[in-house]
Amino acid sequence: MTEQDKATALRKALLDCAAGDNSGVTTILQCEGPQLLGVAYRILGRHDLAEEALQDAMLLVWRKAVQFDAAHGSARGWIYAILRNRCLNILRDGKRLSILSPADLAILQEHRQTVVPTENWELLAGPSRLRDCLKGLDDSSRQIILLAHVAGFSQSEIATRQDMPLGTIKSLIRRGLHALKECLT
Amino acid sequence: MTPLSDEIVALSDEYVLGLLGGTETLLIEEVITRDAELARRVGKLRDQMLPLDQSAQPQSLPAGFTEQIRKALPAQDHPVKPIPANLSTAPTRWRLGVLAASVIGLAIGIGAASLRPFPEPSVVAVLLDAQGVPQAVIDDYGNDTAFVRFVSDIKVPTDRTLQVWTLPSQEMGATSLGTLDDTAATRLRFTDLPTPNAQQLYEVTMEPLGGSPTGRPTGPIVGKGLAASQI
Repeated sequence: MTEQDKATALRKALLDCAAGDNSGVTTILQCEGPQLLGVAYRILGRHDLAEEALQDAMLLVWRKAVQFDAAHGSARGWIYAILRNRCLNILRDGKRLSILSPADLAILQEHRQTVVPTENWELLAGPSRLRDCLKGLDDSSRQIILLAHVAGFSQSEIATRQDMPLGTIKSLIRRGLHALKECLT
Repeated sequence: MTPLSDEIVALSDEYVLGLLGGTETLLIEEVITRDAELARRVGKLRDQMLPLDQSAQPQSLPAGFTEQIRKALPAQDHPVKPIPANLSTAPTRWRLGVLAASVIGLAIGIGAASLRPFPEPSVVAVLLDAQGVPQAVIDDYGNDTAFVRFVSDIKVPTDRTLQVWTLPSQEMGATSLGTLDDTAATRLRFTDLPTPNAQQLYEVTMEPLGGSPTGRPTGPIVGKGLAASQI
């Protein structure tokens, strides 16, 4: 399937979901299932939590499909956003994580520390506009943006991790995002 | 473009990155739903950042995963119901402004406390209706003053009064913070309530004219929500 075919298939899948046809969910998982699960696993660091996140996300996709508007962006971007938000909710739900043993929590935290390497940040294979634009950012802004987007760190977690005041982190994010968007446009 | 726009755009960028808290996320999603221009910006940045998601190592789905999800899907309640922007019930522009101001107020938070001309609220609660749509935002300052802003168009019949309540403790039960005849932003003053806690329940009900006859909520709930601590 070409990228174009995939994009068309995903758009149609969301229309099917909105119309109550659950083959839409099958199509989405056929096209993107392993990649979606990969994103969830990268953020959550546990296979059980990642599967739970994807399952919840697919229910949300099903429920919200009627709100999807192709004029506002791609179906793929919309689906990944729902999954990422679901992962972040699991990660930030103290009650949800309190059922984990301290050892499991430690593993989870450790996993997240290694998701975004400090050196050799280039996660993106092959040339791309995003890669070039990320490369153009100053090191701190790039690192923070990757910690947030790729590993799901909150601003205060980033502040603790980078040993910087929250206000500094906030302005680095603003500055970095502004520069990134300028470059991408 | 309103003066709020730059701030709202910056917040929506942070939303795409996953940096906003739960309450801010809820409110910015409402603003995005109501503002097509913002929705396009959010969709564009999402698509531009998508290669990062594509960089994760794919993981095989467990056997039977798709089937399991398909079986768990509920029936669609509203098959194909688009939401036209020009519905007569669509919120007016100033409601969007209030909603936008609310999310900015929340997001500015502690970091910029010194820039704000008024004291920080102790807690902020976003009140949702049964469908999860934000209706009002309450800032409780913890000194027997609270501020209520409505972020949705609520029709108050002439023979009805809106009443704001909180539940300081199970022992005290629901306690009135004040009554309103319309949905203008209002400062509420009350006496002898304990300092509000995170997770304290707030709600607005539609009561008979003049307020609840029993001193407890009797009418339908306009919106309810739990406070998030701002301290």
